[in-house]
Amino acid sequence: MGRRFLLRFLKLHWFGYAVGVAFMFLASWIQTLFPRILGDTVDILKTAGFAPAGVYTQIGYLLGVAAATFGTTYVWRNLVIGGARRLECDLREALFDHFQVLSPSFYSRRKTGDLIAYAINDINAVRMMLGPATSQAINGVAVILFTVVAMARASDWRLTLLALLPLPFIVAFMLVVGRVVKKRFKRVQKTFATISDRVNENISGIRVIKAYAQEDEEVRRFERLNDRMVEANLAMVRVSSLLSPVIEACFTVSFVLNLILGGGRVLAGQITLGDFVAFNGYLVLLLKPVISIGQVINVVQRGMASLSRLDEILDVAPDVVDGGPVAAFPAHAGIAVRDLSFAYPGADREALSGIDLTIPAGRTLGIVGRTGSGKSTLVQLLMKMYNVEDGRILFGGTDLNDFRLDALRRGFGLVPQDNFLFSATVEENIRCFQGGYTPEQVAQAARDACIYDSLMALPDGLGTMLGERGVNLSGGQKQRISIARALIRDPEVLVLDDALSAVDTVTEGEILANLRRVRAGRTTLIIAHRISAVQEADEIVVLDAGRIVERGTHAELLAKGGPYREICDLQ
Amino acid sequence: MKSATSSSLRRLLSLNRPHAKKIALAAFFVLLVNGALLLQPYILKVVIDDFLTQHVAQQGLYSLPAMGILYFAVVVAAGFFSVAQVNLVNQIGQKIMRGLRTRVFRTIQLLPLKYLDRTSTGSLITRATNDVEALSDLYTDVLMSLFADAFLILGIIGAMLLIDVRLALVSLCVTPGMFAVIFLLRTKIKKNFQRVKRLIGRINGFLAENLSGMKLVQSFCAEKEKKAGFTGLNGEYFKSTLFQVRMNSVLRPLSDVFQNLTVALLLWYGMGRIGASTLEIGVLYAFTTYVKQFFSPVSDIADNYTTIQSAFVSADRIFELLDQAPTLEDLDAGLPLDRLRGDIEFRHVWFAYNDEDWVLKHVSFHVLPGETVAFVGETGAGKTTIISLVSAFYAAQKGEILVDGIPIGDIRKRDLRRNISVVLQDVFLFSETIGRNVSLNDEIDSEEIEDALKTSYAKVFVDFLPGGIDEPVMERGSTLSAGQRQLLSFARAIAHDPAVIVLDEATANIDTSTEGLIQKAIENVARDRTTLVIAHRLSTIRKADRIVVMRDGEVVETGDHESLMDRNGYYAEMVQGGESVGENPDDSPESSSGTRGAAAL
Repeated sequence: MGRRFLLRFLKLHWFGYAVGVAFMFLASWIQTLFPRILGDTVDILKTAGFAPAGVYTQIGYLLGVAAATFGTTYVWRNLVIGGARRLECDLREALFDHFQVLSPSFYSRRKTGDLIAYAINDINAVRMMLGPATSQAINGVAVILFTVVAMARASDWRLTLLALLPLPFIVAFMLVVGRVVKKRFKRVQKTFATISDRVNENISGIRVIKAYAQEDEEVRRFERLNDRMVEANLAMVRVSSLLSPVIEACFTVSFVLNLILGGGRVLAGQITLGDFVAFNGYLVLLLKPVISIGQVINVVQRGMASLSRLDEILDVAPDVVDGGPVAAFPAHAGIAVRDLSFAYPGADREALSGIDLTIPAGRTLGIVGRTGSGKSTLVQLLMKMYNVEDGRILFGGTDLNDFRLDALRRGFGLVPQDNFLFSATVEENIRCFQGGYTPEQVAQAARDACIYDSLMALPDGLGTMLGERGVNLSGGQKQRISIARALIRDPEVLVLDDALSAVDTVTEGEILANLRRVRAGRTTLIIAHRISAVQEADEIVVLDAGRIVERGTHAELLAKGGPYREICDLQ
Repeated sequence: MKSATSSSLRRLLSLNRPHAKKIALAAFFVLLVNGALLLQPYILKVVIDDFLTQHVAQQGLYSLPAMGILYFAVVVAAGFFSVAQVNLVNQIGQKIMRGLRTRVFRTIQLLPLKYLDRTSTGSLITRATNDVEALSDLYTDVLMSLFADAFLILGIIGAMLLIDVRLALVSLCVTPGMFAVIFLLRTKIKKNFQRVKRLIGRINGFLAENLSGMKLVQSFCAEKEKKAGFTGLNGEYFKSTLFQVRMNSVLRPLSDVFQNLTVALLLWYGMGRIGASTLEIGVLYAFTTYVKQFFSPVSDIADNYTTIQSAFVSADRIFELLDQAPTLEDLDAGLPLDRLRGDIEFRHVWFAYNDEDWVLKHVSFHVLPGETVAFVGETGAGKTTIISLVSAFYAAQKGEILVDGIPIGDIRKRDLRRNISVVLQDVFLFSETIGRNVSLNDEIDSEEIEDALKTSYAKVFVDFLPGGIDEPVMERGSTLSAGQRQLLSFARAIAHDPAVIVLDEATANIDTSTEGLIQKAIENVARDRTTLVIAHRLSTIRKADRIVVMRDGEVVETGDHESLMDRNGYYAEMVQGGESVGENPDDSPESSSGTRGAAAL
């Protein structure tokens, strides 16, 4: 898909690229005119009693070349290099779109850091390949061709070939040494990363280090790393410092050949002094594209590898897609779960087995059970974060798989376990970036979640930035903001997934009382560790190892003296 | 800021002093390399004028082949010296950076918590890594190349003046303009580049947040809104990269343009003099080469200008940190004590983190060796602060803290802390093996580690790990549950066999099965040693020999559970009020471990 994206992009912008490449050729050709003009001028100046008009013409050419070089280079760089930048940004947006439709099962397999690397490093590598590297390659080939032809014309084929002799050596040397430098540079980077990690960990764990008086040993350990860093750096420099002197020396061989042989020819009257001077100029022109060969190869290799990696990601199809055409979540609908079993992809044990549940419209269901008993999994399935294969889930009689995905999910207000908030303002977090809520609605949601007063105490009230570039809230505060975020949607089904764990018992009571008020007649699911959060629910189910082991009201379950009673007694 | 920079410069230069001889040698090499560079056009001039134009008779060394060989020899010599110089400068630079890096790290290690509390983890990490790296760039790349470039520019001007004063002046007509334009463009590009980098950093952050919160975005159907945010950021990035492209499109062909202009000027001026035979063609040609050589150092200097600026900012930050030296903790000062008895006494202790904002007021209590004392009270009552004072992380402003009857400040900190193990709620695990997380850097053999794991009940889950105690802890223990982490930190404390153990009981997010283990582990930990526990569970509190009840920084009641309940005071009220005594950990602003740990949202 990455490749297809590229083709589509080129198709869309082919004209700009064609013009750009044409100007690139023009620029390369113009570049090769300079040595000739200088040489011709030298020839004019050499003849005694030359006419100034001839020189003026040459000066005019020089100025013309200057202007044309500037103009053509400016045009092609903007078109080709700028085009690659556009490609980079378009590709990144396409990738972002793709990320947004991929399902949780994808994210559970991939590390966030790796995915970011696709969006930044890999896309950049593709950009480098299609922008700078491609233009350098085209430009380089053009310059070399034009120059070699011009050289042969200024002198002759034999001298030209002789002068080109050292160039293959330069290329070979660059490739070999370049590889070594790259390897050693990687080691430097790795050591640097290790140092960063060590410092990071050390500072984060400074209390432990201090408490156990480990400082001296830690400094000694750091010094060992430090030594490795120095060694890695010096090892790299030992090789990389050779690169440009050796290239220069090789190149000088060509130059000296012209000096001696070409000079001899001038003396023999075979070529003019102007030819000699022009030949020198051409040699200088050749150096740059030759030096860049290694670099171009590197960039292209990296770009191709990145393109394949991007392909791999872009070709992943989302697991969960729209099931059917139903575009609205039924109002005041009950929920029915029929013989539902589920295992996470790749897991050999079922996370849920044979779940049967009926939640009449407007009722509150409490779910308790130890960590890993399947409570959160049940919620994820209700919201179709994973596909349901075994068993059925019905909302007001409509099968979950008949809904459009967004219609289904808009039916829910979820307060997830991990209190995830964005680095945005409090208000944006409560709205979850969606429009259509009045400031009063936002404030009311905050009040219902018992967080309004502590939010107003923040420096900018509801406009306070959260996260890295803003305020850090306590876990309890974050939890209550996520409750407000769910409440403001006034959803058909409200789900609290262990969402009261970090608030104290008094606040918990207040929030539950508010919920009873605002959720009167609406369906609510409360998952909790603490019994106090569910004891008022219309029905409570106890999950263990993916099965419902008990169900009933608080009083019934207490009387039963089963697992529920056990949990109560522990608290 | 300005004065700080100039003093930073002085201090940076002073780091060079021990290497003065080597630096002088490197500078000498730079001169040789540049000299060689200047000699090359002159050789060409001689060839063109003497042999090719005036046809002077060649003899011996004064001949075309000899000049060719000389030219080659000059280039090879210059290459040799340049390799030597680059390696030399790097050796010096790396040595200096190694010293600096270790000093920064050591300083961070020994900073008092008082300072660390006020500083963000990120900025400290930057000091030891990126800031030192910025200086390293300054040393190894910039300073020497700056010196070389400046010398080259002067050398070119000098050589031109030496060969032909008037022609030199003509060539230099264009250079101020070229200087100005290149400098302006380069600095502009560099600045914009930093903007581009900042934006890519923000894109990175945006992605990180959205990818880890993707489930939330999807369950709230906020994809469209999030895409809009991303497109905005990406578009801003695109705009600044386009600006970058445009600027570079001007700059890149500029060297050619200026060269052509100068050459045109030289020809226009030179033709008259050549006609009058007061100028040789070879000189004119040599000048075109000199003009070409001019471009790269000018461009380099402009490029390095911003690097130097940012290096100075880094230097300021590093030295600011190193200036904390007088406040660093001296672990070895004070009375050596091999083994504490574990007698801890607070006498009328007053303490404030800042000024007169008293967190502890008039706190007195006495814990006898082997006793278990529980501290209870609401959020902000000052319980966590007591832990920090017992380990001498802070010093009390008023009153006295006595350990084994000795004022705490007089005891060697190393000995004190080795005798007092602190177990915090927010357990920190290192990215090492389980075993090493228990032993830390100390010599504790695997048998002792196993014992500690057994006593702390951590063995229950460690044995299930594929590698046992050699299993690496991944991502700071995020694969372990909060309860398991707590058990490991008990094991860590037990393995170090302290005379005193101070623990902050964990409350939240512990599942019921681990909870039972923790209870039993605490009993094992507390056995035979003085134990101070910030307790949240009634079961723990009941087992304590004594309970110190705190409120607003004061001790309001002391006694055992029964006597306090009989008193029917604040404690009894708290016990009846809620099922968990004390504050909720996450809401507590004073659990300063939380302020460091909860940096991520």
